[in-house]
Amino acid sequence: CKKIDQLRAVNGIPPYAPVSNRSLLSPVTLPIIRDANIKNDTRLRIFSGTANPSLSQEIASYLGLELGKINIKRFADGEIYVQLQESVRGCDVFLVQPTCPPANENLMELLIMIDACRRASAKNITAVIPYFGYARADRKSQGRESIAAKLVANMITEAGANRVLVCDLHSSQAMGYFDIPVDHVYGQPVILDYLASKTICSDDLVVVSPDVGGVARARAFAKKLSDAPLAIVDKRRHGHNVAEVMNLIGDVRGKVAVMMDDMIDTAGTIAKGAELLHQEGAREVYACCTHAVFSPPAIERLSSGLFQEVIITNTIPLKEDKSFPQLTILSVANLLGETIWRVHDDCSVGHEPYSSLDID
Amino acid sequence: MAFFVKISAPCSLAGHGTTSSSSGSSRSKRGLLLPVGAGAGAGAYGGRQYSDVVPVPALSQAQASSSGGRLRIFSGTANPRLAQEVACYLGMELGRVKIKRFADGELYVQLQESVRGCDVFLVQPTCPPANENLMELLIMIDACRRASAKTITAVVPYFGYARADRKMRGGRESIAAKLVANLITEAGAHRVLACDLHSGQSIGYFDIPVDHVYGQPVILDYLASKTICPDEVVVVSPDVGGVARARTFAKKLSDAPLAIVDKRRQGHNQSEVVHLIGDVRGKVAVMVDDMIDTAGTVSQGAELLHREGARAVYACSTHAVLSPPAVDRLSSGLFQEVIVTNTVPVLHHRTFPQLTVLSVANLLGETIWRVHDDCSVSSIFQ
Repeated sequence: CKKIDQLRAVNGIPPYAPVSNRSLLSPVTLPIIRDANIKNDTRLRIFSGTANPSLSQEIASYLGLELGKINIKRFADGEIYVQLQESVRGCDVFLVQPTCPPANENLMELLIMIDACRRASAKNITAVIPYFGYARADRKSQGRESIAAKLVANMITEAGANRVLVCDLHSSQAMGYFDIPVDHVYGQPVILDYLASKTICSDDLVVVSPDVGGVARARAFAKKLSDAPLAIVDKRRHGHNVAEVMNLIGDVRGKVAVMMDDMIDTAGTIAKGAELLHQEGAREVYACCTHAVFSPPAIERLSSGLFQEVIITNTIPLKEDKSFPQLTILSVANLLGETIWRVHDDCSVGHEPYSSLDID
Repeated sequence: MAFFVKISAPCSLAGHGTTSSSSGSSRSKRGLLLPVGAGAGAGAYGGRQYSDVVPVPALSQAQASSSGGRLRIFSGTANPRLAQEVACYLGMELGRVKIKRFADGELYVQLQESVRGCDVFLVQPTCPPANENLMELLIMIDACRRASAKTITAVVPYFGYARADRKMRGGRESIAAKLVANLITEAGAHRVLACDLHSGQSIGYFDIPVDHVYGQPVILDYLASKTICPDEVVVVSPDVGGVARARTFAKKLSDAPLAIVDKRRQGHNQSEVVHLIGDVRGKVAVMVDDMIDTAGTVSQGAELLHREGARAVYACSTHAVLSPPAVDRLSSGLFQEVIVTNTVPVLHHRTFPQLTVLSVANLLGETIWRVHDDCSVSSIFQ
């Protein structure tokens, strides 16, 4: 009731709150919600897990909503307890929780949140997973292994989610691990908009894939970056998390090299790739990625002087102690907020300013 | 009399240098009744004439049951020659199955021997006509389930719809590879044996065990038998999606260097070559892909390689789908040799002088034996 009164008090127009982080998406006014929609609007609920509350808050602000109240705590034995502190009966619930490190803790929290919503008679439950942990475990590279990404997909579905919203899955085939609808959005447009705002002559650019697995992603990026040429680091890895640079395929001499990946974990691959690019005569090296996992010793490698700039998004929250001068953090809150709105409103047309974001 | 005898010779996985020109007839030429395996020798059935209605002799059945093997291999109509080769490798006869099509196009499958308690392997690539061959496989699986087979393994040398493995950006599309995985599982298969799936992630579409084998060792063994100096070879990926596959190939081909054709496609089944990343001047370029369909990608890539100074161009691929106008493109003189395997049968009218067809029968046969005997499959590739 308070919610409804609060909405009516502002004549049905949700307040537009500017995003606190640097966000380069041009401001777009949300559609004016007609009185007839107010009732529907009260059905939209966004809850945050503990993994990335500031992103969730930004998303809620974008939508002109408050985050739903939820009590999440951990018992002495490590078990997680979740209680919703408001009714979600008949509601369209979005649970925002990246399953970033600590992956198993954050995953279990998400599953328990989903189960809590189901048992509280939520009408629809959407898991909003800006960073999908275990995404790299997407194939059996040798025999006798799990495909953990598939297992996680099964767990989320079994917990009771009706749909999933993810950002930059490591491989796009992983959408097929779910039998429920998956909306897959990309951090790429956010990064592209930022790069476009910098004064780099398009003739000077080469997009570089740091490994052979990501060539398709880098090439899609290159096409949108003034159809820039492409180069590939052919790295022949000899063990998990050990990188060895072998060869550069393509030419970067005198150019600005933009390395593109979906995530940076220990930064071994991208740091050795950057060293190679400098050896091959690149004038400058930028690193771009959506997911800043930044496991040790990533910070040391990224801040060592190899990179002109390291551009990431906030799908994974970054603690203060992981900041360094070359780092730029962009926000995907508007992107996720807009997608949530369209999912909720069963909308796929209109709002042309976002058509380039490929949100269906 | 032992019903099953495994070949005692050392395993020859690659059929080293073997050339098997598979010219199976098209299905339409066989009319409506398509008995498979009926032409095999009398074997365990003591010279008895094949007949739809004569029951299996109790003695033979008892012998079959008591042999402990319980291994049965049946073939669909998509690639009976491959299935026969696989059975020969295992020293077995194909199981007798009647597959026919009714006037309205519906398929009918009847097993003509008992599979109760058996470990059944159904060999059926879902190559064109994809939907017909898929439906036949599903009906075979269902028939085996209803006939109380103990375990049913779908052996799918070529997995149709494998390329439909993702939704494009903003797409309102199916992920048909996932749908097919669900259909095979729902039909009753307990496990799947697949060869060179288009993407390694597709194994994750199944909730049942998948043994994924590769045609690559067969092709590598063949290439090793040719007199190409390792220093002269560059492995080329015809598109950016297949770089990981080509790189694996390059590592095993004397750690050869790699090049990539950066093709920026303008539409479905249209190709446009933009750029070669890497260097092939004066070299022998070996293009590697998992399949050749219309051959547009691989042909335009080959043209580019010649312009960039390659001395000779080879094309290697596991799956020879060869939809029109593939044969015209492949035989036009761009390629020194086109090396494929028989996961998809290569019909006689699609052969051409540069074509070499290798057999994956030994590879599949060995895998089937290991699956049946609960031995390691991955050690085949070590």
